[in-house]
Amino acid sequence: MVRNALRSIMVAGALALPVHAASAQTLELGIDQSPAGLDPHIVTAFSSFMVVNGTIYEGLTAIDKDLRIGPGLAESWTVSPDGKTYVFRLRRGVTFHNGAPMEAADVVASLKRTLAKEIASPLATRLAAVESIAASDAQTAEVKLKEPSAPLLTSLATIAIVPRAFESDKDSLQRQPVGTGPFKFKEWQPNSFIVLARHEGYWRQSLPKLDGVKFNIVPESATRQVGLASGQYAMLPNIDAATALQLKGKPNLRLQETLELAYSLIGLNVSKPPFNDPRVREAVNLALDRQEIIQAALFGAGVPGGPLSPALRDWAVDVNEFPCYGRNPAKAMELLKAAGHAQPIAVTMTVLPRQDIKDIAQVVQQQLNKAGFRVELKTPELGQFIQDWRNSNFDLFASTNAGSPDPDDYFYRTFRTGGSTNVFKYSNPEIDSLLDTARATVDAAARKASYAKVQRVLACEGPVVHLAYAQLFSALRGNVQGFEIIANRSLSSLVSVSVAR
Amino acid sequence: MFFRLIIARLVDLIFVLVSVSVVVFFMIRLIPGDAVAIMLGANTEVTPERMAGLRARLGLDQPVVQQYLAWIDAALSGDFGTSLWTGRPVLDEIAVHVWPTLQLTLLSLLIGAGLAVPAGCLMAELRGRLADAIMRVATVVGLTIPSFWLGIVMILVIAALAPSVQALGYVAFSDDPLDNVARLLLPAVTLALPILANLSRLLRSAMLDALTQDYIRTARAKGATERSVVYVHALRNALIPFVTSVGIMTGYLLGGAIVVEQVFAIPGLGRLILGAIAERNYPLLQATILLVTCGFVVVNFVVDMLYLAIDPRVRA
Repeated sequence: MVRNALRSIMVAGALALPVHAASAQTLELGIDQSPAGLDPHIVTAFSSFMVVNGTIYEGLTAIDKDLRIGPGLAESWTVSPDGKTYVFRLRRGVTFHNGAPMEAADVVASLKRTLAKEIASPLATRLAAVESIAASDAQTAEVKLKEPSAPLLTSLATIAIVPRAFESDKDSLQRQPVGTGPFKFKEWQPNSFIVLARHEGYWRQSLPKLDGVKFNIVPESATRQVGLASGQYAMLPNIDAATALQLKGKPNLRLQETLELAYSLIGLNVSKPPFNDPRVREAVNLALDRQEIIQAALFGAGVPGGPLSPALRDWAVDVNEFPCYGRNPAKAMELLKAAGHAQPIAVTMTVLPRQDIKDIAQVVQQQLNKAGFRVELKTPELGQFIQDWRNSNFDLFASTNAGSPDPDDYFYRTFRTGGSTNVFKYSNPEIDSLLDTARATVDAAARKASYAKVQRVLACEGPVVHLAYAQLFSALRGNVQGFEIIANRSLSSLVSVSVAR
Repeated sequence: MFFRLIIARLVDLIFVLVSVSVVVFFMIRLIPGDAVAIMLGANTEVTPERMAGLRARLGLDQPVVQQYLAWIDAALSGDFGTSLWTGRPVLDEIAVHVWPTLQLTLLSLLIGAGLAVPAGCLMAELRGRLADAIMRVATVVGLTIPSFWLGIVMILVIAALAPSVQALGYVAFSDDPLDNVARLLLPAVTLALPILANLSRLLRSAMLDALTQDYIRTARAKGATERSVVYVHALRNALIPFVTSVGIMTGYLLGGAIVVEQVFAIPGLGRLILGAIAERNYPLLQATILLVTCGFVVVNFVVDMLYLAIDPRVRA
């Protein structure tokens, strides 16, 4: 009896195997991690950002594939001559997924929600300069600043506009997001999948082209690759070089790549010896061969980087202009001697527990050991790493950082004296005044000049040794059309994707 | 006898649950880095006030003992709280993840233990011959192959042989029963292989033991066929260590098979627990571990009952 039942189950299973291909107009994606929640004001990790940014939610401004700022839900804006008042004209005909029209009151509520203490949004500091937000009429929102803030427009691209009713609702959006984007939230099975459906009332005519998007959460890289090769998934967004290399040249697959905004770095604790001495920090730079790191740890897919990603063409200074970027161990050891340190200098490097960073750390260790250091590697569990990082409990660490389209976002919090992520305890009055000036300057050329100076100082004697910017890849089935990879990992171009039959 | 056993088990259960709840609650808080630190991650712009605010929002600013008392108080009335990350009730999250694990447990036990009985008996019957030696080597291979490797190889093989088959991920039974079973077959086989190897070896040695006993000689003397000697007289006695072992395996399987769930992208309890630890999702982890503990104790109880059925001496 039991055996019969078992047999019929097996037969049924065997029969079921070859059936149905996924319905053609729902795009199946394979992603590695479950998002930690879908409230755009609370969770900012990549795993959430990728699912919601530009798909479910939109901001007043938008970032295009060249990382430039353009209109989003605001159709246009004006800035007062003193740089302290921004007036946004909102797009007409924008509706939320719940059917309500998007109006200035929603914009006001969304910005206030981001700033509210009860919400405790990590994005709040991006709006630190905001003094007041008001709706002049249904289509006009006015933002007043305490002082001019050049990065405001970039920051607004990351702050999602949600219906006004959520201003005081701190929990619902985490699992039931509501926005204005081309796709609306449909279902989330934790550890399994997230399904988004077409937003019929989307403001851009005849978009999106897809009926829906399904994010399959598949933790194992080999499984994702097989899923893509067999056509079960149509796309693996934002994968690293190691995975991309294995998919290269497979039939019916295409790779798209771009230079990443995120970068690998070595952080130095400047509050104690040996890295309190700028000469020792310069010696670290001289000891490194960035090209070798890229070859050995990133499979050659990357470029040496300074304090800003070369992807930020408008801002970044060419790394060839940094004097400390050519490898020179002899000079490094001379500097260490001049700084009065007996060699080798024993230090412990705390390593972020992620494969590419672990690989990079090993190459860095070897290079430093040849130039007067004795580096010991320590790879703690992630929670421990973050705790040590936050408490400045390290000699030096190897990690990665997401990067930002506007230089201010990264520089100010990281290198300004007392900055919120200045865990290195770096303090340099020259940098402080340059950063303050650049933040308050709206003129692009003047800002660029200030940030160029900042980069030149930071590159060789800053508390962060910037290593490399990797190539970011997305792998697609041959029949997926209209996708464009963006360096900040946003999947906003899904709006124009279609799948050919 | 029966009632005494049930009462003894209930007392066990309460004792185990209370101690586990205390241990889990305090242990996970000993891991450095709390939910707030993980939630905000490295390199986001965060001020100490924001962290304190978020901590207060999640109720993590209270003294730990007070947190425990509040939690156990609510739990006793059936409220296990909400997930720190998604805000969903913990019990809802568990309900979603428990089905794949239950199905996988059942299916892999059916395959593994189901095949182990004939395999073990066959090996005992053929003891000393070449076929027995080959099967024993095969079981060693089965025991030593790591499941992450086996799982990936099976996926690759299926992808090469039948590229159109959609074998990855999980489809709920209520959505599509056939697809549900089809997608669980590969992971179940992956899980079943070491079980099969382990149990058939165990059964073989237990059978060999039993076959040297006096009552077997008696059975042969009264003219029973060799087949009935092996499969009736010896097997029944050899089943006692077998059942114990199946019980322990069931307990482990019910706790989720992390590696196999990762490889085949199945949303089972293993990934739920692993994720909850990585995220420091305290309420979710506490409730899940309690549930798994309950499962273990219940399985033990069932095993005791099976002893009663198999071995008349226990009944006396």
